[in-house]
Amino acid sequence: MDAKLMIAISSGKTAAQCSQLLGHHGSSLPGKVALRLYPGTLRALAARAERGVILVTGTNGKTTTNNMLARVLLEAGYRVICNREGANLISGVTTAFLRKATASGHLEFDWAVLEVDEASVPGVAAEVDPRMVVVTNFFRDQLDRYGELDKTVTLIDDALGRLPQTQLVLNADDPLVAQFGGLASPAVFFGLAPHARVVERRHHTRESRFCPLCGKELNYAFYHYSQLGLFRCPDCGFRRPEPEVEGLQARYLEDGVACTIRRGGRDYPLELPTQGFYNLYNALAAFAAGTLLGVEPERVIESLESYEPATGRLQRFRYRDKPVYLNLVKNPAGFNESLALLRTDGRRKDVFIAVNDNVADGRDISWLWDVDFEVLEELQRNVAGFVCSGLRGEEMAVRLKYAGVALQKIVAEPNLKEAVGRALDGPGVAAYFFATYTALWPVEKVLRSRVTPERGKQHAGSRPSIS
Amino acid sequence: MLVAGHLYPDLLNLYGDRGNLIAFARRCTWRNIPVTVREIILGEPVDFRELDFLFIGGGSDREQGIMAEDLRRHRDNLGEAIEDGLVVLAICGGYQFLGHHYQTGTERVIPGLGLLDLYTQAGPRRLIGNCAVEVELDGRPVRITGFENHSGRTFLGRVQPLGRVLAGYGNNGTDGLEGVRFRNVFCSYLHGPLLPKNPRLTDHLVSLALKRVGRNPALAPLDDRLEERAGAAALARLGLG
Repeated sequence: MDAKLMIAISSGKTAAQCSQLLGHHGSSLPGKVALRLYPGTLRALAARAERGVILVTGTNGKTTTNNMLARVLLEAGYRVICNREGANLISGVTTAFLRKATASGHLEFDWAVLEVDEASVPGVAAEVDPRMVVVTNFFRDQLDRYGELDKTVTLIDDALGRLPQTQLVLNADDPLVAQFGGLASPAVFFGLAPHARVVERRHHTRESRFCPLCGKELNYAFYHYSQLGLFRCPDCGFRRPEPEVEGLQARYLEDGVACTIRRGGRDYPLELPTQGFYNLYNALAAFAAGTLLGVEPERVIESLESYEPATGRLQRFRYRDKPVYLNLVKNPAGFNESLALLRTDGRRKDVFIAVNDNVADGRDISWLWDVDFEVLEELQRNVAGFVCSGLRGEEMAVRLKYAGVALQKIVAEPNLKEAVGRALDGPGVAAYFFATYTALWPVEKVLRSRVTPERGKQHAGSRPSIS
Repeated sequence: MLVAGHLYPDLLNLYGDRGNLIAFARRCTWRNIPVTVREIILGEPVDFRELDFLFIGGGSDREQGIMAEDLRRHRDNLGEAIEDGLVVLAICGGYQFLGHHYQTGTERVIPGLGLLDLYTQAGPRRLIGNCAVEVELDGRPVRITGFENHSGRTFLGRVQPLGRVLAGYGNNGTDGLEGVRFRNVFCSYLHGPLLPKNPRLTDHLVSLALKRVGRNPALAPLDDRLEERAGAAALARLGLG
């Protein structure tokens, strides 16, 4: 083996140990060290894949889709490398390989399943020569890091354009993603058929109402949420592609969501053990990818039905007799879906929201005003109280006030521990915790000290990294 | 009834800018001042003289191009309304477009509406971050906060700035000025959105709008403790606590 690579691997692994000794999680430092010593580290390690490398990108659902697909492949008997922690920049991706390598640089695996931050896709793809790229959706997110949504989409478009052999798995319902079907690469689409929850009205946070190809306003027969739906351009004819993998009869279960997946003329019923309508999209993406990679559809369904959410992806706990949910919120589309959970759950509940404005959260918190909190004007009847915390908790409280939430129901408590306690001990019979990226782990830590995880042991290595 | 207009909400709604309309309308409603928000849709006829308050936001480059084309047809009508005292808040792209022109990096000059004596030049890097500005409202200094994110550098001619930069970049990062004030037109680079974070500025705009239609501009006080705490937290983040 190349001596430089050997040194890079062992230095990276040493960095991992040091960083863990110092109490850090070390989910991206080892990769950073190794890449600094030998820039070809990622390329060399990724080339060891017996089967191939799969990238999962998009604004929302990256972590969940990636973890679902990794589980599908693991349970099908493959050896899988996966960056579970959400460390999704090039350093975090490299770290995932380093962790599985021995000190002498030995590494054997079949698949690498990697979630990749949108802006890192060009850099990572150039190194790993992916066999497949899954794109979930595009929403506005962390604007101050990337400029504008248009730029992010163009970035991915260019990167995919350089991969004509790579299998694409694309969301048919998102025009911004579906446009990649026009590239040279083979593409398979997943999407949702109309169902009980579709909406016909226009919504404030609809990201892109205009045809990505010609700029004319798109016509929609219906929306699922945000700009996802059955669209068609009246001018150039661009339209939602017919999905090869389609979710029919989507519906809510008591503590999950369900649909029937139609693929190749056959139907496969799916019951996901996690709430959140958007998780159906993640499951459809994982189903489309898994079956394309040769896993039997029935086995994919089995793996999806036993999926356990990662940290803050609607993670479930119990506090005394009270069900407690923790969900990451990082952009308007995702937050709107989190608010939809409050509508689905008719119980009286306490709601906790922690908003930070560190770099990984997006330093600009104005996106809170693109969230449709106005739905709380009606939903607050079933909310005992809202506790706002985090570095910009007061700002969150102001947002709720202007959304029409009664002042006496709003508490701004900057002390995170106090704030979590207030929400847990509130008069509701359920509690929902929403947190932005860098607030998620501290909130989970406080929660963990007070509550019991709902089911099994949530893998301890699943904390988010702030890479 | 006060009529608050949101110009092209479909196109110009970056960074939560619609929060400015929400704040204007809520603070009227909480005081029992009847108010309605009118969305001005691209291509539909509009008479700006019928409005009491107009909000112009910013969009992506593409969206702003579409806006510019349409708004140019209404230039004179908007100019008359401004001369007549229409209360306007224009942020970022909307602010730039009210000036003479926008000079892009590639030597291209995009003409503006020329309603305000100012021009904008693209800079080498974006000016991004939290920002605090001292403005004078009714003769008293008020500190306002927000978040700026712009590559354009704006330079003022014979118009007054909105205020002086306490922390951040402001109009161009060099002269310490932020925004513009001309008659009842207020322009700024501050998103945030600006009005919900800065209730005293919002109330100032409401008062001006009331005065213009001959109504009593004195406003009943509201419980603004949450806003004040949020403003203090934002200033503390900037080391101005």
